[in-house]
Amino acid sequence: MSQWKRTPVESAGAVVHDTRLDNGLRVLVVERHTDPVVASMCWYRVGSKSEHPDEAGMSHFLEHMMFKGTPTFGKGSVDREITRLGGSNNAFTSYDYTAYWFELASDRWETALDLEADRMQGLLLDPEEFESEKAVVLEELSMGLDDPWRRLSQDMSPLLWGRHPYSRPIIGYRDVLARMTPESMRAFYQRFYHPGNATVVVSGDVEPEAAFDAIAKRYGSIPAGPRWEDHDPWRPALEPPPGAQRLELTWDDPGRRILMAWPTGPVGEQADLACDLSTTVLATGRLSRMYRKLVLEKKLASFVAAHNDARQEGGSLLLYAEANQGVEMQALEAALQAEIADFAKAPPSAVEFERAQSILAAGERSETETVTDLAEHVGEYAIDRDWPMAFELTAMRRKLTPEDLQAFAQTYLTPERCVTGTSMPTTQS
Amino acid sequence: MSQSTSGVPAPGSLIIARERFVLPGGGILLVSRRPKAPVTAIRIHMRGGISLDPPGREGMAEWVGGLLDQGTTDRDEAGIADFIEPFGGSVSGDASGLRGSMAGDHWQRLLQIMMEMAARPTFPDAAVAVQFERLATHLRVQEEDPRVQGGRVFRRLVYGQHRLALPSGGTLASLEQVTAADLRAHHAAHWGSSRAILAVCGDVDPGEVHAQVLEHLKDWNVGSPLPKQEHRFPVSETRAEAFQKGREQVHVYFGHLGVRRSVADYPSLVVMDHVLGSGPGFVNRLSKKLRDEQGLAYSVYGDIHSSAGLLPGTFTAYIGTAPDKVEQAVRGIREEVRAICQDQVEPEELAMAKDYVTGSMVLGYERASRRAASLVAQEVHGFPEDHLETLRSAYAKVELDDVLASAQRHLFPEDSCLAASGSVTTEQLKSLLE
Repeated sequence: MSQWKRTPVESAGAVVHDTRLDNGLRVLVVERHTDPVVASMCWYRVGSKSEHPDEAGMSHFLEHMMFKGTPTFGKGSVDREITRLGGSNNAFTSYDYTAYWFELASDRWETALDLEADRMQGLLLDPEEFESEKAVVLEELSMGLDDPWRRLSQDMSPLLWGRHPYSRPIIGYRDVLARMTPESMRAFYQRFYHPGNATVVVSGDVEPEAAFDAIAKRYGSIPAGPRWEDHDPWRPALEPPPGAQRLELTWDDPGRRILMAWPTGPVGEQADLACDLSTTVLATGRLSRMYRKLVLEKKLASFVAAHNDARQEGGSLLLYAEANQGVEMQALEAALQAEIADFAKAPPSAVEFERAQSILAAGERSETETVTDLAEHVGEYAIDRDWPMAFELTAMRRKLTPEDLQAFAQTYLTPERCVTGTSMPTTQS
Repeated sequence: MSQSTSGVPAPGSLIIARERFVLPGGGILLVSRRPKAPVTAIRIHMRGGISLDPPGREGMAEWVGGLLDQGTTDRDEAGIADFIEPFGGSVSGDASGLRGSMAGDHWQRLLQIMMEMAARPTFPDAAVAVQFERLATHLRVQEEDPRVQGGRVFRRLVYGQHRLALPSGGTLASLEQVTAADLRAHHAAHWGSSRAILAVCGDVDPGEVHAQVLEHLKDWNVGSPLPKQEHRFPVSETRAEAFQKGREQVHVYFGHLGVRRSVADYPSLVVMDHVLGSGPGFVNRLSKKLRDEQGLAYSVYGDIHSSAGLLPGTFTAYIGTAPDKVEQAVRGIREEVRAICQDQVEPEELAMAKDYVTGSMVLGYERASRRAASLVAQEVHGFPEDHLETLRSAYAKVELDDVLASAQRHLFPEDSCLAASGSVTTEQLKSLLE
């Protein structure tokens, strides 16, 4: 067995074992024996930001095709094998990564490795299957277009992210997807799917040495592949938006929606941590500022929500609200702007600040309740920064002060950096 | 350890160890201890639910449960939030009761606030007015949303005049008939402790939980027994209706009245569902044919068991597809339902479905909230502590003939309802059922 670093993580009741195979595969075994369950995940450092414009949607489409067979395990084998074993499996694609997961009872979890290691290379990409699955992806795209919030967010992205690929939807565009071929996908697959660009996380009821041997047996002989740095496409650095920007859409229902967005900083950096705390002070729970003022006192909104959309190269603070019937959208927008301006004028009170810290700390404990939660939490940070950060967030946030939140607001949440989108009823417009 | 047909052994014990206490007045307390659990989940289930809604005021039970957090005799909404939010706690309510969770060691706070909310809510007029205004905005939007209305039309077709035809959260029309005083009256009539089932799951001492519940119970009226109700449902027959609205996708629902959880065929129906249209991955027939082979949809499923409760659920086959594919999708669904009623499923299909349902039962109980929900369901249906083990054995015994017989007894492809929402018309749907 290779040398590995063993790190107990008391807050998660787990021990993390960390090593790398000779071919570059990162291996993280997260040992926790509370239930006879094992989660196994494989993370690839490829997402929609890795795509050239004519590949928009390729990462996600490829994620679908990963279930369509290899010479060893034919089409549908992954689902059939896992169903037979009473397990679950699925996958997801983000702007920054693509991840595949299995959850199985601990007496049979190694089958997940057989399947996952096999499809790292040699995917069939059968032309007939490719076209059939393309139709499925196009239906998924249609589903998203029927969601007024998603439509608004998608249309605002180019204003928020400019020429950076974060401006494109993960699922891509209908015309770009239509032009994709098995050959173009194979080239993309070969660029990114290899051990040097992957992290395997196994979490739950496993003995670490046995787990490592099982992983090495399946993945150890796969060639390292090209250096990721040589193939990740060039993309422009994120730039601040060129002044305040607006987008106005209509939708044929009575909903009057507003989404305000400000670009912030990369995941794990101070701006990201301050963004977590700020969104919590502003709009998480019944004691949050915006719920109390805009929903209860002024009765302007039926709901207000704030979200930190954290990403590797730069995230954003998103503020969602829906106007109550009879309320002018301008009044709601002005009130939202006033709350943000207030947030920049003075630091949050000690009580607000402490409440936000506690809510986020408690949330982190809940995020590791199951072994799949744990694998996802560790894997995501392993890809975005490094896995120990997954368990250091509370301590890192504790180093911030209320004044740091004020400074965050003054730096990032300015009117000049804000992209505002509204969706109003078609009839009214 | 039960054995399924292909020889894959089912893993692990399925008994959720718990202590059961009968409370003064007749309520039930279930406590399941799990050392080092990071989260404690608590449920206060109230028997009756939406079946207690007065006619014309559908949504009452949901709003009572949902607005318990607006104030108690001891504190207002902000006071309730202040008591738990800074400790990472949250509580929400609906027609079935209250559910809450708390990270760390503060479960006593969660228990205290939930007992207080259940026993002594005040439904202040001003606070309720604000919440009703928010709700009205939400309901107005929902009334124009095909993603919501497709399912609602389907339930109306299936349940006819029964309460279950309408959404548990009510309608704009029913909301206009209800005041804060009505909420107080409904609570007084139907939230007695005798109808409560409490479940507490986490790193807790059952004796300590019991003692604290007894203390909190002193402030909670016992109330009256649940009234007996008669339920009438329409006969299964062909009915079709569309909610028309221009969208990229059409949401299609095909099916009819389903079964109660107590139906003897339940284990066979669960296995049948996994062959026909539920479960993970895309190994079931609907997913394989309509999604994988024909590329008609991203989302497609069919199922009769998951909605089975004290009252009959529905058999529902759903697909979200393009407007020009509706006909192909409906015909495909109907063909598959007919096929499973006409011919035995393949032995391999049966084996795989049984392997999955027996093997997967051990998963999913890591989460405290899931354990609490399972304990409540056991109590509601009167199942013994080892019922999951019994159920797993029953799944393992299902044979080819059982699946066919169950399908023939409970699925009616020729007498089904068809509802759809999106770019589609009622006439179009009716023609598909001819």
